[in-house]
Amino acid sequence: MLKLRSWHAVSGLSFALVLLPMLVALGAFSAYFEQAQWLQYITDTYIWRVVWFSWWQASLSSVISIALAVLVARALARRQSFFGRWLMLRCFSVALVVPSIIAVYGIILLHGRQGYVSQLWHWLGGQPHSYIYGLIGILLAHVFFNLPLATRILLQRLEAIQPETWRLSSQLGMTSKDLWWHIEWPYLKGVLPQLAAMIFALCFTSFAIVMTLGGGPKATTIEVAIFQAIRFDFDIAKAVYLSLLQIAFCGFILWCGLRLGRPIDIFLSQGGAANHAYMRPDLKPLRGKINDTLILLLATLLVLLPLLAVVIAGINEAWFKVLLDERLWRAAGNSLWVALSSALLSLVMAWGLLLAQRHWQQQRTAAMAVEWMGSIILVVPPLVLATGLFIGLSPHVNVFTINLYIVVLVNALMGLPYMLRVLSVAYLKIGRDYDRLCSSLALHGWPRLRLVEWPILRRPIGLAMALVAAMSAGDLGVVALFGSPDIQTLPLLMYQRLGSYQADAAGVTAVLLLAMSLSIFLLLERVIGGPRD
Amino acid sequence: MIELKQVSCKLGTQHFSYDLQLPLGQIIAIMGASGAGKSTLLNLLAGFIEAQIEDVEGVEGAGGIFFEGQRVDSLEPSCRPMTSLFQEHNLFAHLTVFDNLALGIRSNLKLNEHEQAQVEQALEQVGLANMGARLPKQLSGGQRQRVALGRALVRRKPLLLLDEPFSALDPALRQEMSALVKDLCQQHQLSVLLVTHEPRDALALAQKVVFIAQGRVHWQGDTSDFLQQTDDLIKAYLGQSC
Repeated sequence: MLKLRSWHAVSGLSFALVLLPMLVALGAFSAYFEQAQWLQYITDTYIWRVVWFSWWQASLSSVISIALAVLVARALARRQSFFGRWLMLRCFSVALVVPSIIAVYGIILLHGRQGYVSQLWHWLGGQPHSYIYGLIGILLAHVFFNLPLATRILLQRLEAIQPETWRLSSQLGMTSKDLWWHIEWPYLKGVLPQLAAMIFALCFTSFAIVMTLGGGPKATTIEVAIFQAIRFDFDIAKAVYLSLLQIAFCGFILWCGLRLGRPIDIFLSQGGAANHAYMRPDLKPLRGKINDTLILLLATLLVLLPLLAVVIAGINEAWFKVLLDERLWRAAGNSLWVALSSALLSLVMAWGLLLAQRHWQQQRTAAMAVEWMGSIILVVPPLVLATGLFIGLSPHVNVFTINLYIVVLVNALMGLPYMLRVLSVAYLKIGRDYDRLCSSLALHGWPRLRLVEWPILRRPIGLAMALVAAMSAGDLGVVALFGSPDIQTLPLLMYQRLGSYQADAAGVTAVLLLAMSLSIFLLLERVIGGPRD
Repeated sequence: MIELKQVSCKLGTQHFSYDLQLPLGQIIAIMGASGAGKSTLLNLLAGFIEAQIEDVEGVEGAGGIFFEGQRVDSLEPSCRPMTSLFQEHNLFAHLTVFDNLALGIRSNLKLNEHEQAQVEQALEQVGLANMGARLPKQLSGGQRQRVALGRALVRRKPLLLLDEPFSALDPALRQEMSALVKDLCQQHQLSVLLVTHEPRDALALAQKVVFIAQGRVHWQGDTSDFLQQTDDLIKAYLGQSC
């Protein structure tokens, strides 16, 4: 007979937390199968255009981000002592937790009709014209987020090249071109397919960016079309059809990604430790120096300028008015609550899944199933899940009164793949290294948690919670679907102010939101993660 | 003659400084505790670390690294009269054995017929004839080091720098490789500097030993004398092993 242990309870709870919402959502969808006019949807040219655009923008975004990232990573690897290096790497590592609405705002401030670029162009005598709404704007925003991500992963690869290899290459008198073909390219080649699949999936399901910078008939993705079907057309059957399409596509992308190998470690290594053994023979020529400087400058401008523009726009006279506004504080409170609850919930889910995985290490199928469960949100994207919950729960409860709980749940699930990615290596290693020792010392339960797991895991837990919390604080996806005038979060407030031409108020709100996301990230990373050595 | 005069460098907080004269045409073992500066000496010679030259008693230009009287410390690593072999990572994993050797002749891999024949000949000399088409991962550890040795041969440099080249190998393989190195050096009249922590390697191969401690040359002399030393540092280093 199966003997119940405490880990069964924890794992069972997290299975329920992960699977129940999915089941509710899928159940809700199935109720609409009869209503759906399949034939009409399949022949609908608008839907096909949306599908085409989703693939097209995601492909372009991935290709541009990765191509630029290769250049930037190479330049960073070559210039170990370049003076803005530290600042740049720091900016690149926080870019991931900048709320998407902030990036969009920064890009509008730069490239919009009244933006700095237009002004510069005008001053130079050109005729400014609007290019930001549509594909170009979406690409700019996607590159803003994915260039730093890709650069860090590629730089990590380049810095893993053995010092002996560089010594060898300098002894063999290799030129910059030889180094690229014989050393760097073979090293980078291995991660590119997985990196591309990851960035493609992120861009394919991107919501806030496309909703703010696209959204017209020419530039809408499936994710945004689902939202529009519910909020604007009240056509739930169509939303169900689009959701199923999205699930099919995302499943396909994830399957391709898995076929390409193990996922890559994104976060743990900080990168950028200058290494005296690191010497390569192509650092002296002036042309290389000029090239690298230009590339690094371009990358800094792409990532730093939007953030800088946001900060500058936040310096205005509206501070007092905005700060006295009670709505702002309620929204900030809600966002903080969503952020912390999502991070905690996500940690509980991840812990339960990892416990089960550790206990089932011998049964490969079971362990695989658990691993899959952690990535389920990649197949059923957040907006699809939220849509399903919206439809499934609305007959029973007033979804607008429990909306923040749903937001927390979906955000926790969205954070789960990151959580697992950061925690699993360290967690499973504890099992391998210390399980026998612990059982021989009869160390289990609370003392084991306190003495063994916590000291080893607090760094990764701090990092993972910081990430999930900051991402949830800036989330503008699920909130938009459920948001009502009564319940606001900071990103939603920001979005409304952006739409209603309250430029000064939007500027101040943006700075507050940015400051909040970054401080949540830094505080959790330090407080939970503990001091650095 | 290889000479290092007032050659120094700083890595982190550690300071290294070498003054040394070594004859050519011999195998010389460089020994010392780990972190003492054995590999640093080779890295300075090869130009992997930039050397700081202190002036000798106020005479400008007297310090430096000299090979047969020619100053070499301002040359690029690829132009210096020496070639290196590391403990591992000597090969490019995605290139065949043949191409790994060919890199020693031309870094763009475009060899003429004569040069191709040179590569084949070197492969034969290190006992890997007909293995040219293989990839490094299809070889054993010992075979990989043979490939690296083959490349050192085609580079035709008079001085071979070996940095613990056999440490990752089994005892029997070590002996085999030592014998091969000895043979090849006699055939090609190479001079060898061999960093090793294994007194047996030194005994088997080297005529002379340079003992490094705390970033300086502490002792140098014949191998047979080395093992009889009563010097505290050397005794502490050798322990009971001989």
